[in-house]
Amino acid sequence: MDYSRLDRVRKSATPLELDLVESYARGRITRRQFIKRAMVIGLSVPTVSAVIAACGPGAASPAATAGGSASTAPAASGSAEASASSAASGGSIKVALQRPAAALDPIAMQDLGAYGMLATSFEFLATLEPSGLDIAPGLAESWTPNADGSVWTFKLRPNVKWQKDGKPFTADDVVATMGRLVEAGNSGLKGVIDEKSTKAVDPTTVEFSLLGPNGNFPYLVSVFNAQTVITPVDYASGTTLDQMPDGTGAWKLDSYDQATGAKFSRNPDWWGGKTPLDSIEYVWFDATGPMVTAYQGGQVDAIVQFDILSGEPLLTDANTDVIATRAATHRQIWMRTDTGQFKDKRVRQALALTFDREAMIQQLFKGKADLGNDHVIAPIYAYFDPSVPQRTRDIEKAKALLAEAGTPNVKAVLHAGQVLEIADLAVLIQSNAKEAGFDLEVAVESLDTFYGAQWCPAEPKDPPCSGAAELGIVDYGHRATPDVYLNSALKTKGVWNSSQYSSPAFDAAFTEFQAAVGVEQQRAACTKIETVLLEDTPIGVPYFYNYFSGSSKKYKGLYSSALGQMFFSAASQV
Amino acid sequence: MTRWILRRLVLSLITLWLLATIVFVIANVLPNDVGRTILGPFAPQATVDALNERLGTNDPLLEQYVRAMRNLVTLDFGNSFQSRQPVLPLILGAIGRSGILAAFALLLTIPVAIAAGLYAARRRDRRADRAIVLLGVTLSSIPEFVVGTFLVVVVGVQLRWFPVTARAPEGADPVTILSHLFMPALAMALVYFGYIARMTRAGTVEVLESDYIRTATMKGLTTGQTMRRHVLRNALVPTVAVIGVQIGYLFGGIIGVERIFNYNGMGQVMLFAAQRKDIPVLQAGAIVVGIVYMLATLTSDLIIAWMNPRARLATGR
Repeated sequence: MDYSRLDRVRKSATPLELDLVESYARGRITRRQFIKRAMVIGLSVPTVSAVIAACGPGAASPAATAGGSASTAPAASGSAEASASSAASGGSIKVALQRPAAALDPIAMQDLGAYGMLATSFEFLATLEPSGLDIAPGLAESWTPNADGSVWTFKLRPNVKWQKDGKPFTADDVVATMGRLVEAGNSGLKGVIDEKSTKAVDPTTVEFSLLGPNGNFPYLVSVFNAQTVITPVDYASGTTLDQMPDGTGAWKLDSYDQATGAKFSRNPDWWGGKTPLDSIEYVWFDATGPMVTAYQGGQVDAIVQFDILSGEPLLTDANTDVIATRAATHRQIWMRTDTGQFKDKRVRQALALTFDREAMIQQLFKGKADLGNDHVIAPIYAYFDPSVPQRTRDIEKAKALLAEAGTPNVKAVLHAGQVLEIADLAVLIQSNAKEAGFDLEVAVESLDTFYGAQWCPAEPKDPPCSGAAELGIVDYGHRATPDVYLNSALKTKGVWNSSQYSSPAFDAAFTEFQAAVGVEQQRAACTKIETVLLEDTPIGVPYFYNYFSGSSKKYKGLYSSALGQMFFSAASQV
Repeated sequence: MTRWILRRLVLSLITLWLLATIVFVIANVLPNDVGRTILGPFAPQATVDALNERLGTNDPLLEQYVRAMRNLVTLDFGNSFQSRQPVLPLILGAIGRSGILAAFALLLTIPVAIAAGLYAARRRDRRADRAIVLLGVTLSSIPEFVVGTFLVVVVGVQLRWFPVTARAPEGADPVTILSHLFMPALAMALVYFGYIARMTRAGTVEVLESDYIRTATMKGLTTGQTMRRHVLRNALVPTVAVIGVQIGYLFGGIIGVERIFNYNGMGQVMLFAAQRKDIPVLQAGAIVVGIVYMLATLTSDLIIAWMNPRARLATGR
């Protein structure tokens, strides 16, 4: 440990930075987690390098380490040019994308197809780093919080132009975009900023005065909050990409046909330099099966997202690069905690004890998933606490708990929606639980019926979801932070709280998590959250599964988020 | 004859009006908050109300009905609730694609099926007849999506003889376009082969047994002459009627085949709209398919009238 070097960093660090540096210096977080978090709170690359170097033996050369996370992002304008010069230039790529379900309206869009379309022309303040896991500088070159994380200052990239009229991109565009998002009630920014929060300090500086401290703010204006693509100041609410093809990004929309597909061509004025490929063509698909066969038949070169059930052959295909991104996507098996047979937590624990999680992951995802421990803090989060013991299958214990609770034979209906692997999961749960004496009947319904009648019926309104079924499986998509899961599904009177869970201990831990700015505080809060949820078991979470996209080996340099967005600026033909 | 056509046209218009009214009633009877459907379950209620106001879904039903009928006459179907793009180009594009695929499928199947039907009828109860009938029944009892899946996996992915997506790249030459359409068209053609062949066979068998054919044979006509002058015209009447109805059906889109070959014909467009309660698209789609149905049956009736004077007399009054 090079203390003098570390001390130099300590002296100049803000309290928030100091917290992170100390966490790393004391070995509480890994180097990877340190770098990830450093990106979020806007620690400069030289500082990151200095800390890693100071902390010591075995640390890889700072430049290489930090570079993996930070500076290979398309952010550094030199890097796209560098990759362009080393790769074959020209050509185009045909990409299978889920058909956009609604208008290409950046503010109102709700589906992965539209997310993918919009992110092709527009950019985010914080974009995706090529590993697909974390954020990297996008339209903002850097960002820094104040001491408690309640005010964030974003330094914007200079010399960025709008495609349509060549006007410069400025802080006013950001302020206007945020205004529209707040007005529309963007789910990620709600309660975080209001209409007065965003201020243009000068043309390349934007200041966000948050409604309260938030250590995860950069995520909320990043690729992980897909609606926050920055649009020009005059892009009135309701304007769609096809009405006004514009953007600051590497690709210009040439044509959009809601029935067939869309075409983009290179934006020669992109700040990141000349892209290796000339053009991109998206082809719409309504199901992943045909996407996979079209790919196998050579009619498309890449698939933005596929599920393991229809895309399994691609995993072993020698000509295919499969990008498996670990994600927080999961299923919650909710059990009513306020009434019915699962009111006694021992019954809920017993059901969770019957899950053969490893087998589920093997059968449903060919192993491409992380183990779940009946809480929503996915292992990919920096603040996940792995020391909370993993619940494993224990039929004897489950039987004992049921006997203790005086309900050795629970007979219940397990409700499930007809989407992806959920029906299969329901059958696995049924057979797993049978051994402990649960008699479950699986009821699979269309998603509309399921959401409306079983998961969260509109009536009775208060508390929300109090008309939910006793037992069911519901799907949750990936989020960059677990706030939505905690706030909506588990907090007392949460809007999606179908287990009707209400625990002062959990609510307090969640409040603590939200207010926490430093990673150590966040992790401390998560330890409590994980422990309380594991004990109370209002939901079962057997796994968090990977997000898959794939491309032909004829191309390299493309990467994707877990939200339908694929990035082609550095992609080239081999 | 002109009077007959005019009458048929007027009848068609009345049917269209009825169809449009039924579609309107169904769309409005179903419990559906249009604004909520468009904006999703999490949008604020105020935004939903404002949108409903703008779309006019809160107006009295009669007012909405008059508006819908006026739009129908002017062929103004408005914008899709979901994509907010004009509905008409979407529907016309889709019906065009479905039409090309249906035409190709019929082109593949009709000549072969009619020939097979005629041949089977003439070889009645012999081995060739049995083989054709059996093949026809077998093929038409396998759904087209099963045939389609088989074609995709074997011919498309493994053998790579034909492309597995039905839509050719833009600006492709006609041969490429047809090569893309070949497998989906074949999947549909195989199903209809059995249907049309058996229909032709039954019609021909009946005619061959009739008195006038015996007369024709006895007055010394060769088999070829009998077939051309007397058998075909009469025997194919039911076949033409069936094809007329099937064209309307095929234009409506064969969702299974379209899904498998990722072809955006009427089937996919309508299913997509139905899943998202995109009423304007559904309404326009139902009307346009209705028009095609009517034109197809009208045409087949005309052909039948030309083939069979009795039909002309029966309808000519």
